[in-house]
Amino acid sequence: MEYAVDINHLTKFYGKHRGIKDISLQVEKGDIFGFLGPNGAGKSTTIRSMLGFLRYQEGSIRLLGMDASTQHRDLMRRVGYMPSEPFFYPDMKVKDVISFAAGAQGKDCKKMSHRMCEMFEVEQEKRIRELSLGNRKKVSIVCAMQHEPELLILDEPTSGLDPLMQDAFFHLLLEYKEKGTTCFLSSHVLSEVKRYCQNAAIIREGELIRVDSVENLSRSRVRRVRVWKNGKEEHFSWYQSAQELIHKLEEEKVDDVLIEEPSLDELFSAYYEKGTEK
Amino acid sequence: MILWKHELRMNKKVLLFWSFGVGIICFGCLLLFESLADTIAQMAGFYASLGMFAKAFGMDRLNIGTVEGFYATEIAMVFSIGGAMFAAQIGASLLAKEEEGHTGEFLHTLPFTRTAVVGWKYLAMLAMLLVFQMICMLWELAGMALIGGMPNLKSYVWYHAAQILLQFEVGSICFLISAISRKKQLGGVFSLAVFLYLADMLCRVIPGIEWLKYVTPYYFSNAADIFTKGKPDAVLAAVCCAVTVLTGIGALVVYKRRDLAS
Repeated sequence: MEYAVDINHLTKFYGKHRGIKDISLQVEKGDIFGFLGPNGAGKSTTIRSMLGFLRYQEGSIRLLGMDASTQHRDLMRRVGYMPSEPFFYPDMKVKDVISFAAGAQGKDCKKMSHRMCEMFEVEQEKRIRELSLGNRKKVSIVCAMQHEPELLILDEPTSGLDPLMQDAFFHLLLEYKEKGTTCFLSSHVLSEVKRYCQNAAIIREGELIRVDSVENLSRSRVRRVRVWKNGKEEHFSWYQSAQELIHKLEEEKVDDVLIEEPSLDELFSAYYEKGTEK
Repeated sequence: MILWKHELRMNKKVLLFWSFGVGIICFGCLLLFESLADTIAQMAGFYASLGMFAKAFGMDRLNIGTVEGFYATEIAMVFSIGGAMFAAQIGASLLAKEEEGHTGEFLHTLPFTRTAVVGWKYLAMLAMLLVFQMICMLWELAGMALIGGMPNLKSYVWYHAAQILLQFEVGSICFLISAISRKKQLGGVFSLAVFLYLADMLCRVIPGIEWLKYVTPYYFSNAADIFTKGKPDAVLAAVCCAVTVLTGIGALVVYKRRDLAS
């Protein structure tokens, strides 16, 4: 089976410093795949390796069946990328940036770019230096999607966008998905991952700790436990069996206990915390 | 090609600033010669007798009181240094500006290989240096037409041909620096342009460091030498071309291998 994203044993070190270690993950075509992890976990290193910015030491990356390091030009005609904080040439007008990106793709993207500019209310006559982060983000959406790529790599795509624009963006994303586009979505907004992604991977300290369907990830047996003992309250996350928890509570002779299912945020925070079982 | 056009568009203001700046200074100096011709002619003998100083500036070989002598010793100096500094600025900024301005992420996610990025930017630099040369020559020729005097045409053409090679070499060295660095090293590359000029003067007057003539492209493109000998030294010109090609290839090799900042 040919995957849209096929990463095998990817390892990247910055000198002696850890980047990512032995990352392997596959994304099926047509999937919206969430990529989660705390700051500094290695999300950007993985994405930047996929896009050919970084020369990694070990492993392989194939996107849409093509080698990401040797077939960059052909690949980028089929891939759209939206960074978390987009930068363009400050003196250029928005319309010139969009037209430069379309020209580089060698495609007539006027129809699509016109539609997207209207949808996101992009002010095309303005210069880039006059735009806020949110407006630069809108330009970035147009540049990444106007050539109707088969794979979209999105790094925190909604940060800086107002709620209306976020809705418009996901509406467009689902439209692309209908046409068969795959989306690799790095995000901190768990609600949007749960709402739009079928599968997700969680990365921590440069290593993948879990790849599963979002449904399974959300249905984890992790529990938030609150205990009261001698008038003091303590709380912790519990990852092991209920039997073991009962045994622990008996041993500690607690006065009272409250066991809760964690919220989505708490659940993923638990994955991010050190010491969580892989 | 789209990247080449893009670079020319992005650097249009810098190109016009330098070519009009240097061109107008050369033009103004030529007009100055006309009004000061008598005074300069009287001082020519004095300048020629200044020994090492005269040797360094070529005044021992040319009469500063003539248009040719004045052009080769005064105006050519302005043009050489100005041209080298422009080449240094353009060369040093072309690649490094992408990482310094965080635009690399945008550029490198378009369907351009790193070889194409380096290649088109390098060609854009060469094109800008040629345009710079042409605009400055137009200003010089306009000045010469106004004062009604002209240096030897053949030597004048050889001088500008040598200057093109000088600017290509300085631009290419700075382009290599730009490929290595994540920031535009403008202070460093301007110093390099001035150092190479000083190296030319020093190796002319200080015995034992003549080997510097192989290091500095100002030596073979020196106007006083070209106007007295008729054309530049072929071996030194070949060294200049070799350095240009090698540093250009070096920039490509470095840029292809290294990690790019966002």
